[in-house]
Amino acid sequence: MILLTMIARVADGLPLAASMQENDQLGRDLQQYQSQAKQLCRKLDAQSPDRCTLEAKDMNFHYLIADGVCYLSLCEPSFPKKIVFSYLEELHREFSDQYGRKISIVTRPYSFIEFDTYIQKTKKLYIDSRARRNLGSINTELQDVQRIMVANIEEVLQRGESLSALETKGNNLSTLSKKYRSDAKYLNTRSTYAKVAAVAVFVITLIIYVRFWWL
Amino acid sequence: MSMAGINPQNGTGQPYANGPSQNPVGVQELPGINYGLTHQANYNYSPMQAKASVPPGPAPGVYPSTAYQHVPQVSSYQAGPPPTSYPISPGQPHLTRPLLGGPASHTPPQSASPGPRPPPAMSTPPPPAVSSSGYYPNPQHHHQPAPGWQYNSAPPPAGPPTATNAPPRGPAPNHVSPPAPYSSAPSASLSLSAARPPTGLQGYGPPGPGSAPPPMNPPAVQQYHPSRAPYGTPPAGPPTSMQPAAPPMANATPPPPKADGSGIGANHVDAKPAGPPQHGPPGRHLGHYPSLPPGYQHAAGPLNTHPALESATQPYVQAPRQAPPGPGPAQLSPSLASMSLQSGTPESLRVVNLLQERNLLPPGPVPAPTPCLPQDLQKINCSPEVFRCTLTSIPQTQSLLNKAKMPLGLLLHPFKDLSLPVVTSSAIVRCRSCRTYINPFVSFLDQRRWKCNMCYRVNDVPEEFMYNPVSRSYGEPHRRPEVQNATIEFIAPAEYMLRPPQPAVYLFVLDVSHNAVETGYLKVFCQSVLDNINALPGDSRTKIGFITFDSTIHFYNLQEGLSQPQMLIVSDIEDIFLPTPDSLLVNLNESKELVQDLLKSLPAMFEKTMETQSALGSALQAAFKLLSPTGGRLSVFQTQLPNLGAGLLQSREDPNQRASAKDIQHLSPATDFYKKLALDCSGQQVAVDLFLLSSQYCDLASLGCVARYSAGSIYYFPSYHHQHNPAQVERFQKDLKRYLTRKIGFEAVMRIRCTKGLSIHTFHGHFFVRSTDLLSLPNVNPDAGFAVQMSIEDNLDDMQVVSFQAALLYTSSKGERRIRVHTLCLPVVQSLSDIFAGADVQAMAGLLACMAVDRSVTASLSDARDAMTNAAIDSLSSYRQSVLTIQQPGLLAPACLRLFPLYILALLKQKAFRTGTSTRLDDRVAAMCHLKHQPLAYAMLMIHPALYRLDDLTDEGALNVNERTVPQPRVLQLSVEKLSREGAFLMDAGTVMYLWIGRNCNPNFLTQVLGVPNYAAVPDNLYLLPELDTAESQRTRAFVAWLREQRPFFPSLHVVRDESQLKVALMQNLIEDRTESALSYYEYLLHLQQQISK
Repeated sequence: MILLTMIARVADGLPLAASMQENDQLGRDLQQYQSQAKQLCRKLDAQSPDRCTLEAKDMNFHYLIADGVCYLSLCEPSFPKKIVFSYLEELHREFSDQYGRKISIVTRPYSFIEFDTYIQKTKKLYIDSRARRNLGSINTELQDVQRIMVANIEEVLQRGESLSALETKGNNLSTLSKKYRSDAKYLNTRSTYAKVAAVAVFVITLIIYVRFWWL
Repeated sequence: MSMAGINPQNGTGQPYANGPSQNPVGVQELPGINYGLTHQANYNYSPMQAKASVPPGPAPGVYPSTAYQHVPQVSSYQAGPPPTSYPISPGQPHLTRPLLGGPASHTPPQSASPGPRPPPAMSTPPPPAVSSSGYYPNPQHHHQPAPGWQYNSAPPPAGPPTATNAPPRGPAPNHVSPPAPYSSAPSASLSLSAARPPTGLQGYGPPGPGSAPPPMNPPAVQQYHPSRAPYGTPPAGPPTSMQPAAPPMANATPPPPKADGSGIGANHVDAKPAGPPQHGPPGRHLGHYPSLPPGYQHAAGPLNTHPALESATQPYVQAPRQAPPGPGPAQLSPSLASMSLQSGTPESLRVVNLLQERNLLPPGPVPAPTPCLPQDLQKINCSPEVFRCTLTSIPQTQSLLNKAKMPLGLLLHPFKDLSLPVVTSSAIVRCRSCRTYINPFVSFLDQRRWKCNMCYRVNDVPEEFMYNPVSRSYGEPHRRPEVQNATIEFIAPAEYMLRPPQPAVYLFVLDVSHNAVETGYLKVFCQSVLDNINALPGDSRTKIGFITFDSTIHFYNLQEGLSQPQMLIVSDIEDIFLPTPDSLLVNLNESKELVQDLLKSLPAMFEKTMETQSALGSALQAAFKLLSPTGGRLSVFQTQLPNLGAGLLQSREDPNQRASAKDIQHLSPATDFYKKLALDCSGQQVAVDLFLLSSQYCDLASLGCVARYSAGSIYYFPSYHHQHNPAQVERFQKDLKRYLTRKIGFEAVMRIRCTKGLSIHTFHGHFFVRSTDLLSLPNVNPDAGFAVQMSIEDNLDDMQVVSFQAALLYTSSKGERRIRVHTLCLPVVQSLSDIFAGADVQAMAGLLACMAVDRSVTASLSDARDAMTNAAIDSLSSYRQSVLTIQQPGLLAPACLRLFPLYILALLKQKAFRTGTSTRLDDRVAAMCHLKHQPLAYAMLMIHPALYRLDDLTDEGALNVNERTVPQPRVLQLSVEKLSREGAFLMDAGTVMYLWIGRNCNPNFLTQVLGVPNYAAVPDNLYLLPELDTAESQRTRAFVAWLREQRPFFPSLHVVRDESQLKVALMQNLIEDRTESALSYYEYLLHLQQQISK
């Protein structure tokens, strides 16, 4: 079952098209997933892996990045990965056919919301279990889905946060070491002075001793 | 500029919330005094200070206000030099005239006048000067406002002066037994008409030499034509529409004035000879004036020769002069202009004795008052059509407001069809603490910081805002469109979306029971949808669906690929379910042929039905289920009381009790089923629009809830029948067309913010209030109006102005998320007289109507009626006690409130609130719904219909709209006295128009316009004006069409003969007359006066 489909620009996470969730009969609250999907689109960048499956609680996000556009869908974990990705592939083909040139220039969110109609039709085709068998045979030669990386959505979303935490820690460390360095310098100087003073006192005492008592 | 960088500022976390305005973190480092550090400071201060220094709203303070109302004249005032300066430019013809005329006629007053300031104002003295200079030691008083008012209704001893002034203001012939003083009336008024033009020109003349735009001059001249025209000297300039008014008036004149006139004749003649010799100058001025024929002086001649006739017409001729205090074509009465100039009293504060002045209606529509703001602010202020406040000057404290006893509130028409600037920007600049959108009334402290005008927090100007896309310049944030327009639309970034923008979804739920089929509405409906199927707002995602119901629910499978629509019947109405969830609501583009098939076959499908029951509740539940995943619009067509399944209703109306004086029962809903359903719908972004076509009781009070709480609209077509009521059918057709094709906004929310210190506490309209001040509007349409009531919580000390901002976030039918922002700025005042001067009487009537509807539902109708009368009593008595310095007899009101008692009386006689007359409960509730839900402009016509005389339309003063000439007849008072058997009159009551044909109607009109040979041949149920190829017919049709174009719904036209049944309906709208159960206007005024003086 494909619950949610979203197409976004990778460069700035601008949503380009999406399919309305129409699954309120099951009473699932998709709102949370919706906002996770939005966050995810914003997190993705050119360095992200092209294809990835992210586990989020009892659902899986699957995404595909092609030509700077991210195609993301939310499915039940039991739904075959292979079909999801061929579904995303198909969306990609049609989407870049229709809007390929305009993708980089739009500024308004959901500029291509009319693509929803196509998404819904395709989705219906793919989730129909009878049709799926046929599709499955067509798509056997598709890439080996096993190679697709699997990660946890929480990790992906929080990756940025842990990095920034690391950065703060590093910053703290460097300030602390700087402080240590200056403190150490200060202590060094102090001990040097103390040593010099001690020697001087000794020498003076010696001279005085030699001068008055020796002679 | 990367969006990510800016997003946080827009509140990434809360996309929908326009911002929690409850916690205005009052960063008030800079007290209000500092507001407007920029150049605006000057403007802000000057008027206020002036006002403060000169107590009774006198000259300096007033100049701005009048000036803003009549923009063109501003320059005339500025250019208008004080009298001393006249001689400076004697070469100018315009100036020469004043020089001759002014001093010649008014030397005494002028010399007595302390202030050189109001030279043009001298025009008021003409009456004195002409009639006899002996009367007028008073003219000097004209310079002070109070004595000026004194004139108006001076105590009896001062008979003569009273009389001389009173008649020009208004004849009041029926009310006041004309005493001897009347004798001088004609002379006064005649002299007015004779002497005014010059003085008027004098007043307006300076624009010529000054910088005034030339077009402004002609109107000033035209103004006087009406009065002159009857005397036979048609002036060269384009005449105004008023001209035609005079002769008919004369016919309609009731006996008393005539008697007056004839009585006066002698006096008048006596006075006149003295007049002209003394005042040769007026004639001479005119000689100088190029656009006026030298023959003007002849005008005085005829005057003298036919005193009786003139005196009879005179009072009515006066009427047009009764100042419409508005700009543009609305004529400012010369006397008033001079008055305001001279005395320094704003026109809106001129004292009007309502008992004496009858003709209070302006000749055209009543214009909205202009807030007394510096001109540069006013220029960019929000249009009164969109945003209107009952008090255009906001009192500084709640106690002051309590003292003024006027309702404080806003009336909005936020989604009005407008063409407005649209801004696409990745960052929408808003105040960080109160989330106000940046607007023209914020102040820029420097280029980098701006101060919010709602909470006074200082915000940073984001980098991106520094660049102005319009002028393509950098570093001018104050030139951005956001800061230049009070009404603007933003394309919202993704943060403003909780979910992808929904498609346009339309679901129609149709009653197909026997009763419904009888009315024959299905055919009209299907035809309308077929005709407009391509005009439905939407994009390629638009979805459509149909459900019909009687005792069972019928669904239609319209899935693409089917050869014909498939009907699915669900008879289990107790536990409703959707037979095939995904093929009932289909993509319009893909299934268009199936939809068309269905629409073509639908009317025939139920022709033979014998099912009389109606399971509306279950049908609505099914529709809700169908729509809830997407949201959208649910249009329900119902023709009878739902009597099966969930939400069934019983008849609660007892027809025999309709007219009883006892209180009206059953105005509140009988069950909360519909309200609950509406709230569920609202939660899923579904709005329910209710079309009620019925001849019997349907309990609209209960059914209406389904639309009220889901922000839908209610259409009510009483006694709809396809054969018996063709006018209603036409109205249904036209309204449906508008309904189907008008703009629509989905999943909308609206929030109204106001400056700290003010608080909004009650909302009126159709919506559901979420989280105290967020109005949830599943659909918003351009014909919906809203009203809010406000109170002043903290004193607005140190504030010069306050602002109000309405922000409407919606999804357009094309799937764009947009924010429409309206900002209104109003001045704060400290004195009661200023508050009264800024009262907006129409807005007050509109707000009071909303409040009265609430009151009649929560308490009782009689309570609501009393409350309205009390509102009139309170404000007028407060005016009398606190503002008027000198107590005089009569019912006194400031000019801006002069229509207030009339409107209140009109409300009391409105269908919604009337008692004693037989009114069907549904009619009453429908009227209440409309009063609450319609924008003010349309509601006003329902409250106070407009009456025009149609049989003597001329092209004079006509408007030119789209190359069509639209005559502009004068608005008449709603009194049977104005109807004459010789004429044909059009009453425009908003949703319906009546064309009343007098028994002895001008045969020319009958043949040329109605196409019938004589009165007897006028058909009984004529509702269309035949398209005849005559000038009269074209004029009449152009006028009616023009009236219709001005509103979004279609008023049906009924031709009413003397013996038609509809005559009753027409007569009920003549609100100034007495009916068996209600007071006449004059009686009502007396009642008010009695209450006030108690």
